[in-house]
Amino acid sequence: MSLNTLDPHRWLADHGDYLFRVARRQLHSDALAEDAVQETLLAALSAQARYAGDAHPRTWLTGILKHKIVDAIRRQMREVEIPRDADGEEAVDSLFKQDGHWAEPLRPWGNPHTEAELGQLRRVLDACADRLKPVMAQVFSLREVAGMETEEICKELNITPTNCWVLLHRARLYMRQCLELNGFSKACTT
Amino acid sequence: MKWMTTCKETTELASRAMDERLPFGERMALRMHLAICTNCARFTRQLHEMRRLFQLETAANDAVPGLPPEARHRIASELQNKLDS
Repeated sequence: MSLNTLDPHRWLADHGDYLFRVARRQLHSDALAEDAVQETLLAALSAQARYAGDAHPRTWLTGILKHKIVDAIRRQMREVEIPRDADGEEAVDSLFKQDGHWAEPLRPWGNPHTEAELGQLRRVLDACADRLKPVMAQVFSLREVAGMETEEICKELNITPTNCWVLLHRARLYMRQCLELNGFSKACTT
Repeated sequence: MKWMTTCKETTELASRAMDERLPFGERMALRMHLAICTNCARFTRQLHEMRRLFQLETAANDAVPGLPPEARHRIASELQNKLDS
């Protein structure tokens, strides 16, 4: 593949918005997301000789972006510790009775069908994700939004697998409850 | 492992099962509990639904604002600098 077919301005034009949205969703900051896109395209430009052209450019660029996102998160993180405060362990405990059973029955969700319903769910989903504790939010979105393997996340963020499971478990319990409290069960009852 | 896990323990197993294949004993414990507990079965379905919605959202988020024009210009000139050097 000749270098001419790998036009970085083309990458920016075709994939800039997409890369920005992916980064924005995980970094929760326009400035950090812009930086991540820029770093990704510059890195892609340096690496283009190694790019064999077998992957779709978007797939290839998104792969590079994931690493830039992790770098940004790592830079932001002063220390990685599982929160021991009320938002972590105690919040989880409050969902269950002493004997380990659910304190409240779970309400069913339906299936959203229309674009309007999906749009509403997206907003709730984002609002809930924004309210997670920072470390939890980062691990959660690397897993659920970026689709990274937990092993990879642990290695990149330098946390133990056990901490990873605990953070993901708490984040999921919190997210599920937040979605239920904010109309998920109502918005999409079938 | 006890003969029956609690709901709280089951949510831990259900969550971990979203990330890796559980060892045999834990997989069976999870399956047994889910077979008889409506709440935990619902919890597990909702975790999968949540993942599906997140993936849907990332794939089709044209409604979300894209790269701001100033940033686009800045990045374009950075790329040009690098191309020229």
